Amino acid sequence: MNCDDLEKTSSLYLYDELGANERAAFEAHLVACAACRTRLEETRRLHRLLGQCPQPEPTPELLVRCRQALDDALDHEQLGWRSLLRGWLWQFGPMPATRAVAVLTLVLFGFMLGWTLHPRARSLPPLAPGATASSFMGPDLGDVRIRHISEVAPDPQSGGVRITLDAERRVTLEGSLDDPRIRQVLVDTVRGYDNPGIRRDTLDALRMHRDNPSVRAALLYALRHDTNPGVRLEALKTARGMQWGADVRQALLDALEHDANPGVRVAAMDALVEHAQEEGMNETLMPVLERLAASDQNRYVRLRCQAAVWKLAENER
Amino acid sequence: MVDGACLELPGKHETSREGEAEGERALIRRAQRGDRSAFDALVRLYDQEVLRLTLRMLRSEEEAQDLYQEVFLKVYRSLGRFRLEARFSTWLYRVVTNVCFDHLRRQKGRSELPARAGGDGELGYAEALADDRPGLNPEQALRAQEISHRLEVALRQLSPRERMVFELKHCQGLKLRAIGELCGTSEEAAKNSLFRAVQKLREDLSDLV
Repeated sequence: MNCDDLEKTSSLYLYDELGANERAAFEAHLVACAACRTRLEETRRLHRLLGQCPQPEPTPELLVRCRQALDDALDHEQLGWRSLLRGWLWQFGPMPATRAVAVLTLVLFGFMLGWTLHPRARSLPPLAPGATASSFMGPDLGDVRIRHISEVAPDPQSGGVRITLDAERRVTLEGSLDDPRIRQVLVDTVRGYDNPGIRRDTLDALRMHRDNPSVRAALLYALRHDTNPGVRLEALKTARGMQWGADVRQALLDALEHDANPGVRVAAMDALVEHAQEEGMNETLMPVLERLAASDQNRYVRLRCQAAVWKLAENER
Repeated sequence: MVDGACLELPGKHETSREGEAEGERALIRRAQRGDRSAFDALVRLYDQEVLRLTLRMLRSEEEAQDLYQEVFLKVYRSLGRFRLEARFSTWLYRVVTNVCFDHLRRQKGRSELPARAGGDGELGYAEALADDRPGLNPEQALRAQEISHRLEVALRQLSPRERMVFELKHCQGLKLRAIGELCGTSEEAAKNSLFRAVQKLREDLSDLV
């Protein structure tokens, strides 16, 4: 071994990457070579320095944001053509040849279907004289999507037919949040719509009217009861800017003590600490923070609560 | 230390491994058939560790979040090709490494550091650092921040491969043989990358050593 080779070896030695023979040879060389011992010591100091750098840890809030964004992305993915094709192909299992045949079959079927239907569309007979295009009783079916047909009842006497179906119609509402009807739709969305991304966007839209009583109630409801932590966090951020009353203070305290998500608990703590002095909450808040600093299941929450206790104590002096 | 024969994301519990492995395979089978709740449960098993890896690799919350999503979307799209006899954590680890490596290559050449998150309730990078010393010495904390910042600057001078190898070796503790496999290269090439990385870091941080 010469000393130039050993420069690389010293790094590998400290990372425990040398085989037994190499290690023994290296250690034997070190006994006799002061320059290599010095070099090894420099590398060791570098390792110690690198060890002083704390490793970044993801915060609970970051994890919540990541999960929420992934959830939304997967929702979009599931509605896409890729997912439909994937679902169909998975039925044919892992055999590549079978899958290729399946794809080819799909393409040929689509082509043949289009070719077959296209001339028929052209050869539709014209309406008989006197007939009208829409001689039926019922609502206008323009812009309606049929979801389910529950009955088709032909009437042999009249030659007509009664169809009972469930349909949905897309409606676009536009207006100001000053309009109570618009506000009510948004409040209902926050309380009951099943898509958490939409509920969160709705909270954002309601932000400027957060002190309206029905909006306020919906926000605090979302903070307390929404099943999605990202939505609860958004509600909490909006609640921070409200005019504080006993309802807001209590909702935030409940979130701090009982929310299942550590990111939401930390955000509630930040909001309460920010307002503690002006709201005269120190006596109520301090014991809660001390208890959580000692016993919260999440280490990060414990640390933040402890820091908040010190901060409040400092403010008191 | 994790050796190349067992590429497993650290932090998994070792108890009842056989039962856990079978439970995981059942989740994967269901997810492969399109069961979204099964896929979500599979994500929850690993996502904290994936996020920790991407955050340590990129040192930016925003970029870590982007890569987290990229990793799990890739997994979602290609889960049908995963063979159940393989180890899922190893496969996932490879996806994470490739995504990070591609990102580092795209990023190479940008000289500015990523903007720190801050304000309006978001946590800054320094606040995101693990801190288990309640009675922290402020001078020591300041030095640690300075070293972190200098290290971050120095890491950006490394090539993407040098950086990847250094992070996987120094921070994750993987063996060089395993790192070579993950990076699609040989153990010898991984050793050379590690050596060059350590040399460059020693030069850049010589005044702090």
